[in-house]
Amino acid sequence: MSTVGIIVNPNAGKDIRRLVTPATHTSDVTKVGIVRRAIVAAAEAGATRILLMPDRHRLAERAAEGLGLDGRDGRCSVEIVDEPLSGSRHDTIAAARRFWKEQAGAVIALGGDGTSRDVALGWPDAPLIAISTGTNNVYPSAIDGTSAGAAAALVAAGHVDIAVVGRRSKRVTVRIDDVVVEGDAERTVSRDDLALVDLAFIDAQFVGARAVRDPNTVRAVIAAVATPASTGLSSIAGRVHPVDRWDDTGVLIRLGHGGRRVRVPLAPGSFTTLDIAEVRPLALGESVEIAGKCVLAFDGERDVPVSERGRVTVRVDKSGPLLIDVDATLIIAARDRRFDEKQTTTPDPEADGAPHGH
Amino acid sequence: MDLPVHVQLDLHRRMVRIRLFEEAAGRLAESNRLPGFLHLYVGEEAVAAGVCGALNDDDHITSTHRGHGHLVAKGGDFNRMMAELMGKATGYCKGKGGSMHISDTSLGMLGANGIVGAGSPIAVGAAFANRYRGRGQVAVAFFGDGSTNIGAFHEAANMACALHLPIVFACENNEYGEFTPRDKTMAITDIVDRAAGYGMPGVIVDGMDVIAVHEAAVEAVERARTGGGPSLIEAKTYRFYNHHGVQNLGLKYRSDDEVAMWKQRDPIFTLEDRMIENKAATRDQFDAIWAELRAGIEAAIAFADESPYPTPDQIMVGVYTSMSGAN
Amino acid sequence: MADERKLAYVMAFNEAVKQQMEADPNVFCAGEDIGAFGGVFGTFGGLQAKFGADRVVDTPISEQAIVGLGVGAAVTGLRPIVDLMFMDFICVALDQIVNQAAKLKYMFGGDAVLPLTITTAGGGGLSAAAQHSQSLEALLCHIPGLKVVMPSNPYDMKGLMTACIQENNPTVMIKHKRLLGMTGHVPEESYSIPLGKGNILRPGKDVTIVAYARMANEALIAADELAKDGIDCEIIDPRTLQPLDTDLIVSSVKKTNHAVVVHEAVRFGGLGGEIASQIQELAFDYLDAPVTRIGAPFSPVPFSPALEQHYIPDSKTIVQGIRDVMARV
Ligand SMILES: Cc1ncc(C[n+]2csc(CCOP(=O)(O)OP(=O)(O)O)c2C)c(N)n1
Ligand SMILES: [Mg+2]
Repeated sequence: MSTVGIIVNPNAGKDIRRLVTPATHTSDVTKVGIVRRAIVAAAEAGATRILLMPDRHRLAERAAEGLGLDGRDGRCSVEIVDEPLSGSRHDTIAAARRFWKEQAGAVIALGGDGTSRDVALGWPDAPLIAISTGTNNVYPSAIDGTSAGAAAALVAAGHVDIAVVGRRSKRVTVRIDDVVVEGDAERTVSRDDLALVDLAFIDAQFVGARAVRDPNTVRAVIAAVATPASTGLSSIAGRVHPVDRWDDTGVLIRLGHGGRRVRVPLAPGSFTTLDIAEVRPLALGESVEIAGKCVLAFDGERDVPVSERGRVTVRVDKSGPLLIDVDATLIIAARDRRFDEKQTTTPDPEADGAPHGH
Repeated sequence: MDLPVHVQLDLHRRMVRIRLFEEAAGRLAESNRLPGFLHLYVGEEAVAAGVCGALNDDDHITSTHRGHGHLVAKGGDFNRMMAELMGKATGYCKGKGGSMHISDTSLGMLGANGIVGAGSPIAVGAAFANRYRGRGQVAVAFFGDGSTNIGAFHEAANMACALHLPIVFACENNEYGEFTPRDKTMAITDIVDRAAGYGMPGVIVDGMDVIAVHEAAVEAVERARTGGGPSLIEAKTYRFYNHHGVQNLGLKYRSDDEVAMWKQRDPIFTLEDRMIENKAATRDQFDAIWAELRAGIEAAIAFADESPYPTPDQIMVGVYTSMSGAN
Repeated sequence: MADERKLAYVMAFNEAVKQQMEADPNVFCAGEDIGAFGGVFGTFGGLQAKFGADRVVDTPISEQAIVGLGVGAAVTGLRPIVDLMFMDFICVALDQIVNQAAKLKYMFGGDAVLPLTITTAGGGGLSAAAQHSQSLEALLCHIPGLKVVMPSNPYDMKGLMTACIQENNPTVMIKHKRLLGMTGHVPEESYSIPLGKGNILRPGKDVTIVAYARMANEALIAADELAKDGIDCEIIDPRTLQPLDTDLIVSSVKKTNHAVVVHEAVRFGGLGGEIASQIQELAFDYLDAPVTRIGAPFSPVPFSPALEQHYIPDSKTIVQGIRDVMARV
């Protein structure tokens, strides 16, 4: 059995950032198209079972409609897994967890950084192809459904070895210890969380519309990936101290006076000067503690308020999802003549199995 | 610090005013003291409050059949509103319009509207005039999810974008048009999916979170005011009561669980809890605000009760504007 | 008759639709909230459960497309019933009604059949204000190609609705919102009342009252009142306004020599003007007094009950109007 799981986040690509920036909006029809192409390509490339995350927008249903992939007569089966729906990010988390249980050989996730984060929350070691359906994303990439579907199936079926094309990504591992007051009683509540790109400490009181709009509210950023080629929150670390996706380091940046002054595009096309008080490279596993009232922004989105008595312990480590290199997978498969018609499946003795440019 | 506390309190106040007005209207309707149809805004307060809180007094809004909330949020006077709902001469429309046509042009509120979809083209006209006069005013069209199925919405959206007008389309997506769920009447789930077709940005916000709505509205209004053109905000929200009136009358078009789930996300109580957690306000402070505004509502009911009905000779008054300048 | 079956106006409508849907698989209904919910006035209650969602269709809020759906389906062989919740909303769909439904046949040189029924609810009296209370029938009667009916009681409702559905031309069936609960004798078996045939609601000899829809009922009350003074009213309910049963009206006026036309619509430019002109042209020599029109003042329908009750004509207005006419003798 070679199982591919597909997650499509109906809410991705539609948030307030489209207003602040000239970012494009990703319609449901676009997402349905990508998923449908991924399904067809995965079935073609040898997936025997494709699992889809259910969603309130019925994207999965529409993507699979009329393809006739019902598992009969040797055809691949497409199933929408049965999970209770909340209409929120918990649907993604639940689907990732479910795909883990179902032993999916590869997961395709459509959405932004936040969607990849939710997949990692549900299944930390997911063998993942993360497709970006918006702009300003750092973790997922722009990959078409056809390539993604084929690569996912090739890996899931074992035709291409995940040990060769999968790479462990980094993440920001977060622990929050906070004090909750209930009447006269106090209790400490702890929770574990993660970001795949960066965690920012925002001087704010509300989660609100989630995007971080005011650069002056950013207190500190801890990044696993910091690329100067990005815009938005992740550009802060990127322009101060770049950290590649595959570098074995992270970085901590504190904002404040007395240090460098850096121009940063917090929104595409609009630059602001930020005062950088401290830049500190972080070794993998090195832990940092930051206390005090803030709202934590995970991968660019305000998410968790922390009280003045809260403590946040953070480290960058190498325990993110296993990212599948789609290009490499397809090249290996082509060299192995995986795309030839069935009768000629003998591997090419000339091919060494290593892709170009890897 | 992000949003100043006085702004938080202002948004809160707008929401509580709406809630109190609507709850009072609902009670009066239940005891048959209000004539006509009554479409209550309870549950959706964060949308009107969040958006109107981002507007100046001289900005314009157009509204819907569910229009009380918009007028209250724009600063509507309880006395004149309540009197209008009762059909009294002292009402905003002198008893001629009622709930579905309540308006205050001096506040830039260009009327609730009995015709679904009809407000949006009017907002386009207001936006046009605003740019024409060059005083930097903005127009906002409030509209329901259901109204985006009508031609008027599409024509308005397209024209606003073609003319690059200073307008914000503010959609209250409460998942139903009357008694029919959204998914039976459109093949899309998010109204913002329509925005791209006209060439404007569209964003979704949590319509039960006044801060989220407000943040989006500030961006959209700023964009419109500075020549950036139209945009669409879709607030996911829910009405707590029936399409019109208060009771569901045993109409099972929405499940009890669904209603209960949304009520748990009450926009006012969520904000209050958060502000208390943030130490931006205290429970006592909120209690005092409710008490003060409640007194205003009681006074408005008394005012409306004591107000006279219009006399029959008023029927023919106000059909035309006289050329001599009299009204 | 003691065992006469009684039915409400709204259920008479419902029964006509149901029977025609049973009789003809080409009949289907479409409109806002008419399916699962049965229509905001209950007019389509139970029909979706009986005939399924393919034949009783919940539409988006799209009046123009609703009528267009009816036009297109009718001209390609179905027999649609499309509902516009309130009569005021015909304005949203006027192009499809006036420029399309009414004219396709003629413009195609006669080569089109449009068995289309548009149903809607008109009239005031509910404090529903200016956009939910109008009586716009004159607008529709002015359009060649349309037929327009406005029943005043449950019996007529069922017979006329049946005729509308069976009719091979576009018809507009206007229910009166204030008559929905009115009960009366309605036979169970299917029957139809020919379009264009009026009805003598009450025979009399002194004055002819032409009144339809709710005003026909007000005229009945007025006639009882006037009878006490020895004024014997004959009430003609045309039932169909386009085509109009002019013969029936004129023959009545020739007998009574007095005519009063009553409608709820605004008096100026209302159907009363047309009816009065017909009487004047065809029975001038029989008239003992000018034909009087009773209708609403020239203003939108006001919201406040304090105003609306004076705005809409009622039995008292009619009594007064008739006294005035009789006094001119
Ligand atoms: C043109 C028109 N068609 C139909 C109606 C009847 N009607 C009144 S409110 C409503 C539902 C509107 O739904 P939506 O726009 O989602 O607003 P909501 O009531 O949910 O706030 C309908 C169909 C109307 N008033 N106008
Ligand atoms: Mg709605």
